[in-house]
Order: sequence, then structure tokens, then C-alpha cells
Amino acid sequence: MRRTTSTGRRTTALVGALAAAAALLTACTPEERTPGESHEPVPGTLRVLASSELADMTPVWQRVEKDTGIRIRPTYMGTLDAVALLAGGRAKGRYDAVWLSSNDYLRLRPEAARQIVSETPVMSSPVAIGVKPDTVRKLGWKPEDVTWPDIHEAVADGRLTYGMTDPSRSNSGFSTLVSVASGLSGAQSALTDADVRKATPKLKEFFEGQQLTSGSSGWLAEAYDRRGDIDALLNYESVLQGRKDLTVIRPRDGVVTADYPLSSLASTSKEVRDDVRRFTDALRTPAVQRLITERTLRRPVVASVPPATGLDPGRRRELPFPGSRSVADGLLDAYDNELRRPSRTVYVLDTSGSMEGGRLDRLKTALTALTSDFRDREEVTLMPFGSDVKSVRTHVVRPGDPETGLDGIREDTRALSASGDTAIYTSLEKAYEHLGAAERDTFTSIVLMTDGENTEGASPEEFEDFHDGLTGAQRDVPVFPILFGDSDRAELEHIADLTGGRLFDARQGSLDGAFEEIRGYQ
Amino acid sequence: MRRIAGIVLAVLLLGGVVAAVVAGREEQDTSTATKTVRGVIGSEKAEFFADPEVVKALAAKGYTVKTETSGSWAMEGLDLKGYDFAFPSSQAPAEELAAKYRARKPLPRPFYSPLVVVAHRGAAEVLRQNGLAELKGSSGTLDMGAYLKAAEDDRTWQQLKGAAKYGELTGTLYIATTDPAASNSGALYLAAASYVADGGRVASDTAAVERTAPLMRKLIQVQGAQQPSSDAAFRDFVSGAGNPLVLVYESQVAALLAQGQEVGDLVVLYPDTTANSDHTVVPLTKEGRALGELLSEDPALRKLAVRHGFRPQGGGTEFAAATTGRTTYLKQQLTGVRQAPVPTSEVLHEMTRRARG
Repeated sequence: MRRTTSTGRRTTALVGALAAAAALLTACTPEERTPGESHEPVPGTLRVLASSELADMTPVWQRVEKDTGIRIRPTYMGTLDAVALLAGGRAKGRYDAVWLSSNDYLRLRPEAARQIVSETPVMSSPVAIGVKPDTVRKLGWKPEDVTWPDIHEAVADGRLTYGMTDPSRSNSGFSTLVSVASGLSGAQSALTDADVRKATPKLKEFFEGQQLTSGSSGWLAEAYDRRGDIDALLNYESVLQGRKDLTVIRPRDGVVTADYPLSSLASTSKEVRDDVRRFTDALRTPAVQRLITERTLRRPVVASVPPATGLDPGRRRELPFPGSRSVADGLLDAYDNELRRPSRTVYVLDTSGSMEGGRLDRLKTALTALTSDFRDREEVTLMPFGSDVKSVRTHVVRPGDPETGLDGIREDTRALSASGDTAIYTSLEKAYEHLGAAERDTFTSIVLMTDGENTEGASPEEFEDFHDGLTGAQRDVPVFPILFGDSDRAELEHIADLTGGRLFDARQGSLDGAFEEIRGYQ
Repeated sequence: MRRIAGIVLAVLLLGGVVAAVVAGREEQDTSTATKTVRGVIGSEKAEFFADPEVVKALAAKGYTVKTETSGSWAMEGLDLKGYDFAFPSSQAPAEELAAKYRARKPLPRPFYSPLVVVAHRGAAEVLRQNGLAELKGSSGTLDMGAYLKAAEDDRTWQQLKGAAKYGELTGTLYIATTDPAASNSGALYLAAASYVADGGRVASDTAAVERTAPLMRKLIQVQGAQQPSSDAAFRDFVSGAGNPLVLVYESQVAALLAQGQEVGDLVVLYPDTTANSDHTVVPLTKEGRALGELLSEDPALRKLAVRHGFRPQGGGTEFAAATTGRTTYLKQQLTGVRQAPVPTSEVLHEMTRRARG
């Protein structure tokens, strides 16, 4: 029964993601690409749809540009979003090549797989866990012998906490989820729905140890450093190896490896595909493979080039990746709705007089669209403000009956009306007070959407004092401000820095897109 | 079914026109300047065509060849308009393409390569200890009957003697292959496995497919997501990722050895019953046909093909001579390796569909 409900919701969420991706295409956020660039084809330039984490390849691309004369114009996007875009047929005419961390998920969607040809793996990096050396010592671990059940046991005993990226938005998170599920289910071959069900109790215990979630590896690392009290990070080996303060462990019983295939789009001309092939060949020359492994700490795919110093040459079993979409999506669904800690979010929404008209309409549309993306067990508080907080309404998406909570959110959204001044800091303080002594069993955060500067109530200095006075878990609650309308970037950036959040820009892109992107951090 | 009917209809409608165009092109005078010939090829031949010496040898004969890779079975789904040839890795998809594009027979088959299983030393040693393989140096023979029995029984590495020493040897024992629906080596694997499983009979009808379907399904389902091409699978193996046992073409290993590349503790296992990939050119234009014939006959190109690990048709000595120094990995003569006949493409498609379903 509930399986039906959540699967249905996942479909809607995917449709929502598609809509958001479409919105991003028409009006892109800075995360997606630098403003001012268009999608128009330029001869000798390859427009590459690339996984976000490939941003670290810039020096390599520059080298290959020099070697081949082919220019690269990357557009970075989460792998799963990129697959949704391909599946929707929206890459055609906009991109020449696709370069994702892995095509495993793509292949589960025939309508996306049909869009690409000539996929060639360029480098590889397995999923790993980076643990503080001190924790490794306390646990008595020998890094080369650690298995997934060992990690599970340490978490279940309360001796290990960690952060990882959101599997729905980041390929590193998704590969981690598959590794953990395979490792803990005891599955001897490719995961099935039955394996996932069998492993659910253990997976639940495992994900109780997850203290941080993030839509990107970059912010995950920042949040980890800020918190300081988390023992480990789960991510690709290359990301973890880049930090000097972690012992990188590839569990002995197997991992999922990203092999970064560069693929042509089936819709491109022969000339473009020739360029893609030349570019690919250049990436696989020994000199460039050496550059790749030394600069990015990924593993080379050419036998004559050894992995960079520090990368353990020992072998690991490759865990089979699920062979069907139902298993992969079922796992994501279970993670969102059952396994992970639920999220608890206060939406502090500017409904001051200046929001009147189009802006308020856009806010309502964006919030309504967002309801298809809320997960089971999630607690959502709407806190509209003007000269002061106007109301505080909390809804919970209950697993047995998600629609009641979601209807409540939609109803309260419809009722929003614009009036009054802009009391940003007073409202934020009330959001913290509402959350109270936040507990560790939820991912707690505040989203601040405002279209103007603070004109009423507490001052920035007063808010800083207030924030200084917070203690414990409450102090770790991040604020994710959204830049919208006439809001002040410096002011909002300061709030993000102060609270350990991250700024999202809805001025370049859309409000829907910003809300959607923040989901990865909640 | 509807799709096939559609293709047939399209062929019928366009046949006259295409034939006219091809005939027209065949009559064109051949100029002495370099001709650019475009083709879609199986990924395992990409390095051959990219080799500067091959490029030079082709240019000496007046050809510039531009290629793109595709899974052999996936070529059927591509629009090959504007190409001069397709070069899948096996006869069955070549026949399909030849029928679809009305290519004149016989189709040139410049070279072939048997399917082999690559393993690291530890895995090969465990197979030997458990009676699944015989080893001599870094080459050996895989007992397909014993392997299929183990697969049928869901045997895991942990249950095999001597596996505990190697951390990476856990989970179900299986040979990782490419997706049989998209790529040739995966489909040929099913051809060979079904032949052995059915007591040395090649599947010729639905009843035969039926008999081996549960086992074929098992061989594919345990793998989860599969690589779309043998090149990717071999790359992963070489880079140390991927499965303990991977099905590749002998040519991929031979090419790596010919380059003098470090292969570590690689062991090449020849299944006692295997299938050959017959690299077959499907000419779509006159130039495509000429290129196919050139690849088959030109001594310099045949020599280069050997250097890329392929066995030229009727060229046992050429291959043996070139691989003298590498017999520890390669069997120069394929004695004791039985060739499983490959079912017709219709039967093979049905087998694949049931195995993946």
C-alpha cells in the first residue's frame, strides 16, 4: 500500500525534477553555467553536459584543448538530473557530448540511453569512506580489512558518524547508497527488491549515523569542517584522498566504481563526433592520464600509467550495479521515505508589501510545485513574515497518509498574502526558537526567501549576537537564503556564512529551481 | 513485431531508390585523390583504425577512414545514411545489416578473434584448484561445462577452495559480459553457453531457446547493469576495477601485449567451447566494399591487424609468427578450443530477450 503511494510520489517528483531541469535550461542558475553564455553551437567547440564533480578537470581540459585545438564548453549538472534531461529529449541541439561520472543509471532508462553513442571510460574512482585517523585507531581498524558490516557495527554502536551527499541529486551519494545496500544485504549478485527489503533494518541503523546531507561534495566538505564533531565522510576515493586529514578505506567486500565515460550524442553531426573522438583519444594518452591521476586523484584506465602516489593499488570486488530501474528507484525511494533521517525545515517566507503581484504568484507556484518532492516523515513549517512573523504553520508528511500533510501545505500556500515591511532577522530568530533544541535525529534547516533588504525588527548585529548565544545542535542549524527580487546578496551571503548554510540564486534562475536545488541539502 | 514490419515496409518502399543510388555510386569513376570513407565499427576495432600506421597504410591505398563506435547489435538502430560501411564484430548482426541495406554478398570478413575470459592470477588459481580450469603459465582453458554447473548451483567464490586468501573474491561466481542486447560479445557468450548447456546442440527454434532459458537468464541477471561495449569492460579490468572474470576478445589482450604494455598478473582463459567474433564488413557503398576487400587482402594491413591482436582469415601463421614471444598468455593454435556455432540472429535475439527479461 505505502509502496504504491511512495512510488507514485517518486514519479511525480521525477516529473517535478524534469520541469525544474527545463526551467533551469531556459533560465540557468550560476551553478549550472556562467551567465551570458548561450547554447548556440560554435564550430570547434564541444558543448559538454558534465557531472558537477568534473569541475575539477579544468586543468586537464585546458591541456587537451592545447593538444587538440578543440575547445570545451562544460555545463555542470547533477548526474541524475542530466539523465532526466537526456530522457526528456532535451539535450538534442543543446549539447554535443555527455560526460557523467557513470552511465550505470542512464542505462536503466532506455529513452536516455538511446540518446548517446560511443561511450568511452576515461578514468575511474571507487566509493570509499574517509575516516579520522583517531577514530580508526579507537575502532581498532586495519584499513585494508574493513568491510561494510564492520562500518555498520561501528555506527550501530554509536562509535561512528558520517556525512554523505544526497543520492537523488549526486552520483557519489547514489553510488554510496548502492554500495552500502549491497554490502549490508549480503547479496551475492546484483541487488533485487527482496535484497533491499531484507536489508532494511540494518540500513536504517546505518543511516542513523548520517549527520550531514548535501547536494554537492563541495558543501559537504565545508559543512564537515565546520561541524568538526563528525568522524567520517562517504564519497568517491578521489574526493576523500584530496583531503590530507582522512584515512581512506575502500571496504574489502566491494565498492561501486565511477568510470567517467565520455559519450557522443546520437543527434550530432559526423564532424562533431569526430571532434568528440579526437578529444577522447587525447584524454587517454599516457601523458594526459598521468595528469589526470596526479591532479584529480582518480585512477588511470591505461595499464602503462600507475595510479597517483597514495592510491592503494590493492584490488577490490566491483559490486554489481542494479540491472533494473525498479530496483534502483526502489532503493532511492526507500532511502528517502524510510531509511534516512527525516528532514525538518522552517520556510521563512517574505510576504511583505513588495511581494504583491507577480512575485507572490511565483512564490506560490514554486511552493506548490515543491510539495510533490516532500518525503515521508518530513516536517515542514511555513513561516510567512512582513513587519513580523505572520503565522507559524507546521505540517508532517505522514507515511500512511501523505496527502493530508501535503494538502495542508498547499492550502497555507494559497492563503499567503503580501503586506508590511521586511523583518528578516526577527523572523530568523523566531525560526530558531520554533525549532527549539533541535534534535540530532532529523536533518534540520531553515530556508529564507526574501525579495528585499531588512527594514524592520532586529538588526544584523543583534542577529549575530543571538546566533552566538545558540548552543548544541541548534547552533548547527544552517540557513539557506534565496536571492530573489531586490534582496541584497552581501546581506544574504553573510547569513549563509554565519550559520553554515549556502546561498542560492533565484534571480539568475527560477524560484522553482532554487527550492528544488535546496532539497539536496535538507 | 510492428517495428520489424515497419522496417520491412521501409526497405520495400526505399529498396528501389537505394539500389539505384548505390548502383549510381558504383558506376562513378574512382579518382586517385584520397577518398574519405566513413564507417560505424564495433568498439574493439577503434584502436586499429586510430593507429597512425594503419592510417598511413590506408592513405597509401588512397583512403582516409573515419569511424564511430557502436555496439554491434545497436548498429541496427542507427541511421547509417551517409556512411560507407558498417563493421560489426560478428556475422549475425552483419547479415541483418546487409539485408536491411541490401549489401551485396559475399561480405568481406578480414579477421576474427575468439572470445576469452580474463582473470587475475588469484581468481584463475582458485578456478584451477576447484577443477574449473587448467593453467599453463598465464594461459589456460576454462571448463565451460563445470562453469555452467557452478552457475546453475549459484556457487559463490566463498564456497570455493582457496578463495579466502583473496579479499576481492566474494559473491556469486560469474563471468561479466557486455549487454547481449547491445553488444556482440555478450550475445556470443549466450550462443556458446546455450550450445554447451543443451548438450552440444545449436539452438534452432523456440523449443531449444526454452530449454536453456532459465540458465541463460541466470547468467545475465546476476550481473546487474552491464557494460555496453567490450572495450569499456576491458578498460575497467585493466584499471583494476570491475569483476574477477571478464569476457573479452582475444584481440584486446593480444593488442595490449603487442604494445609491450604491463599487464600485471593477467591470465587468459580460453573457454573449451567458445564463439568467434567474425569481424565482417557490411559495404554500404562501393568505397565501403573496396575498403573491406583491402583490409582482407593487403599484406601490410593484415600485418597491422595482427599487431592489434586479430587473427586474419586464413592467416594462422601470420598470427603465430607475430605472437611467438607471448605464448605464455596466448594460444597460437586454437587446438582443443571448440567453436560453438552461432544461432541465426532471430533465434539469438529471442534468446537474449528471454535472458534479460
